[in-house]
Amino acid sequence: MAAKVLDTTKNAVPFDRANVPGPKIAKAVKAEVAGKFISKAKRPLLIVGTAGGDDGVIDVVKSMAEKGIPVAATGNSIKRLKEEGIDATYVNLHALVSYLKDPNWKGFDGEGGYDTTIFLGHTYYYASQLMSTLKNFTKIKIISIDRHYHPNAQQSFGNLKPDDFLKALDVVVAQL
Amino acid sequence: MSIKKGRFTIENLENVQINIGSVVSSGKAEEKEIPKGLTPAPEIHELRDWDLKLLDRYEAAYSPVCDMCCYCTYGKCDLTGNKEGACGINMEAHQAREAMLRTLTGAAAHSGHGRHLLNNLIERFGADYPIDVGPSDIKAPLTQTIMGIKPETIGDFVPVLDYVEEQLTQLLATTHMGQEGSAIDFESKALHAGMVDHLGMEVSDIIQISCLDMPKSQEDAPLADVGMGIIDSTKPVLLCIGHNVAAVTYIMDYMEEHDLFDKIELVGLCCTAHDMTRVNDKAKIVGSVSKQLKYIRSGIPDLIIVDEQCVRADMMRETSKLHIPVIATNDKIMYGLPDRTKDDIDDIIRDLSSGDQPGALLFDYEKVGELAPKLVMKMAPIRKEKGITALPDDDEFKKLASSCTMCGACVIGCPQGLDIDKAMEAAAGGDLTLFEELHDKCVGCGRCEFDCPKSIPILNVIEKAAQKVIREEKGKVRTGRGQVGDPEIREEGVNLVLGTTPGIVAIVGCPNYPDGSRDIYDIAEEMLKRSYIVVTSGCSAMDIGMYKDDDGKTLYERYGGRFLKGNLLNTGSCVSNAHISATTIKVAAIFARRDINGNFEEIADYVMNRIGAVGLAWGAYSQKALSIGTGCNRLGIPVVLGPHGPKYRRAYLGKPYDKDKWNLFDARNGSVVNVEPAPEHMLISAETKAEVLPMLAKLCFRPGDNNLGRMIKLTHYIELSEKYLGALPDDWHVYVRSEADLPLAKREELLKKLEEEHGWKIDWDKKKILEGPARKVDVSFQPTNVLRLCKGASE
Ligand code: SF4
Ligand code: SF4
Ligand code: SF4
Repeated sequence: MAAKVLDTTKNAVPFDRANVPGPKIAKAVKAEVAGKFISKAKRPLLIVGTAGGDDGVIDVVKSMAEKGIPVAATGNSIKRLKEEGIDATYVNLHALVSYLKDPNWKGFDGEGGYDTTIFLGHTYYYASQLMSTLKNFTKIKIISIDRHYHPNAQQSFGNLKPDDFLKALDVVVAQL
Repeated sequence: MSIKKGRFTIENLENVQINIGSVVSSGKAEEKEIPKGLTPAPEIHELRDWDLKLLDRYEAAYSPVCDMCCYCTYGKCDLTGNKEGACGINMEAHQAREAMLRTLTGAAAHSGHGRHLLNNLIERFGADYPIDVGPSDIKAPLTQTIMGIKPETIGDFVPVLDYVEEQLTQLLATTHMGQEGSAIDFESKALHAGMVDHLGMEVSDIIQISCLDMPKSQEDAPLADVGMGIIDSTKPVLLCIGHNVAAVTYIMDYMEEHDLFDKIELVGLCCTAHDMTRVNDKAKIVGSVSKQLKYIRSGIPDLIIVDEQCVRADMMRETSKLHIPVIATNDKIMYGLPDRTKDDIDDIIRDLSSGDQPGALLFDYEKVGELAPKLVMKMAPIRKEKGITALPDDDEFKKLASSCTMCGACVIGCPQGLDIDKAMEAAAGGDLTLFEELHDKCVGCGRCEFDCPKSIPILNVIEKAAQKVIREEKGKVRTGRGQVGDPEIREEGVNLVLGTTPGIVAIVGCPNYPDGSRDIYDIAEEMLKRSYIVVTSGCSAMDIGMYKDDDGKTLYERYGGRFLKGNLLNTGSCVSNAHISATTIKVAAIFARRDINGNFEEIADYVMNRIGAVGLAWGAYSQKALSIGTGCNRLGIPVVLGPHGPKYRRAYLGKPYDKDKWNLFDARNGSVVNVEPAPEHMLISAETKAEVLPMLAKLCFRPGDNNLGRMIKLTHYIELSEKYLGALPDDWHVYVRSEADLPLAKREELLKKLEEEHGWKIDWDKKKILEGPARKVDVSFQPTNVLRLCKGASE
């Protein structure tokens, strides 16, 4: 099976070579590990960027939403997500990270903040910069299951080919 | 003895020249104006209370680019996770310092430009040369509001720039280690730098409008040609790059005097180009800064004149390969070139045309004026004979594309993450479409080339592949009109404040767009159709003019240039951005009759609560863009950046869910009113065009909107959300104060939603809202954040 030979830890260099933030950078993880990490979160939030509406990726968003992970639709992903019947809330990513940083924010459901953020489908540099807010000013766990290595996350895939990326996402979902 | 401001030469003493600035012993300046107002020429701390009010509601959110600090030799210090460095500064304060420093850099670039221009224009025209910006009594709104003085002559701006420079020096001093340690105070300082930046920009543009006879509040300023496809390369091509038109005006004068405009193609890149067309509409605009390297590599320019700002640092490497001489005319960019200011023109022409020297510094602008046309005419035949270009021919192109191994190193190196590898593969197979698409998204930075293990000159390949598209790059831009005139404000101010003109959307700044330049054309068109006033400047103003409708018309040809709903105004170059913020001041002065003199806080408070204006710097890349945005923020104007924006490290974000942050006073009696979050944020970014459009509409809401105004604004917010995000926005109801705020066409449907989804009480017979809104509309409500402005109250 292809998923068995898939190694998502390879090619873990910042996509945008100069995006080297400092001493603390993301651990490149296998898809199974990422899936388990997410499944252990008490209050996870899936943060989906505009490319989260792309074919293939959207199915994964749908599966994760169906497993009960709340979905924040950033960029203009909300349009596609709604069309697919996925329950999601539109929020601007820049605003979202500042809300996440606020201990008084009650979350989308009024139940409080989130302990784990999962990034998927973002413009690379945009997400990278805003992960750096969470990384430096919160205790929230950041996991990127996007196609490119994100040093500002805690855990990330390396840079993946499009096919491998979709396979990796399937592995993640299988762990939930 | 009576001494006038200006210049005089002492007889028999060659080369001695004395410039008299503000020390004047006779004439008008004797009755030197005493600055008026509460805070004329404010020091850093004097507007701090206002800043703290802003920052309490719009908290600074930091996004570090680098988790370390290397400011002093105690470091590098690792500040990850908001740790402190060896000096005790934490990550938050350091990021605030970093963002402040960028703001300061931008402000210094504008005011340095202004000082250079002011010196030059005083020398040419004399300090007594009167200011003339068009049919306005408020000639310098920012100067009046910040400095408390009303300048009449260009010499009156000398103390204004003195003030700007002093503030910039004091602010720069605070970035030294062991100075400021508080993030919020760095933010206050950044806001100060931003304000001072607008002042410097205003000076720069007013003096050039006045002296160089640029359009003066002219709604029908002429149209100029723009685009890489408009240039007649059969003529010698003289290219000017930068932002400071001073030297170029001498070239234009010489060309007019010698009838050379038919013989030489005079073109510009970046804001110098805007200002060239404002001086003489025979000049043409190649395009924005992202066209710079592309256009040089095309080999078309026969001579390049550079001045300052946004000029490529690798200029000499690029141009000397292509035998394009470079004349540098400004202290800010000298490229290690020899200073030939005192040399004979013929000698300079000889050394440059032979290639013995790749370029020269020339600070005598009379000489530049004469040399440039002569040299370009000499260079053109030499270069044409050799057929010099960096672009490959058809065979080379195929070879280059085929040599690509699809390793993807360039894609990782590209700041836009463009799929260069896929385009190479397609091109090798004869399909150029991917490169044609990529060409517009490529910002022309050349970073990819440093990463290619096959040493493929990638940018040349892109440009060669996109030749068909480039030939069609022909647009029109209305030349910069300068200020909005007082009569226009008298006509439109009321509509803006009541909200019946839904807002001003200022599309400004650089071309580091996330998805090509078409986005800002689309955004401008969408907002114009909806009757917003779209104001633009700089590179954005050029790119907006690059696209046409089915009838072949650009937006400038389809929409009027008056300050009126549904009009498109190009104010001009980067420094003309000052007129955009100044317009809001004029509304406060003319429509609301506020005393603007030295009264910054009150005016900013008015602007923030009453005037639905929002800035969009969709492709902001420069430090100047940050300082312009930060200056807008201090004046209460929200700004949206594209997705590269968080690299500036700081945003000002509101918390709509935190009710306590949205308390205002009613100036009639000092009572506290809890209002809807408007404007919701001060400095924020968005990922895509589809996301930003509804956001722009939302950021035009103001607590002072009347029912009709709110209804119009809400209609656009809802329609844009439905169109681009596929749904009603989650927070539309927050902006409803009564049924009269609801969009007419949807009133019933929305009332139902208010009842069912939000539990509001509706009287269905009268179609009235009985219960639900956070507050009622009160037509006489006078929203303010400043207690001292309330009747009978003191802070
Ligand atoms: S300024 Fe402070 S944080 Fe920066 S390197 Fe020096 S000691 Fe470290
Ligand atoms: S020149 Fe264009 S393709 Fe190359 S790195 Fe820059 S933006 Fe990317
Ligand atoms: S770096 Fe060079 S060889 Fe590698 S994909 Fe890019 S163009 Fe091709």
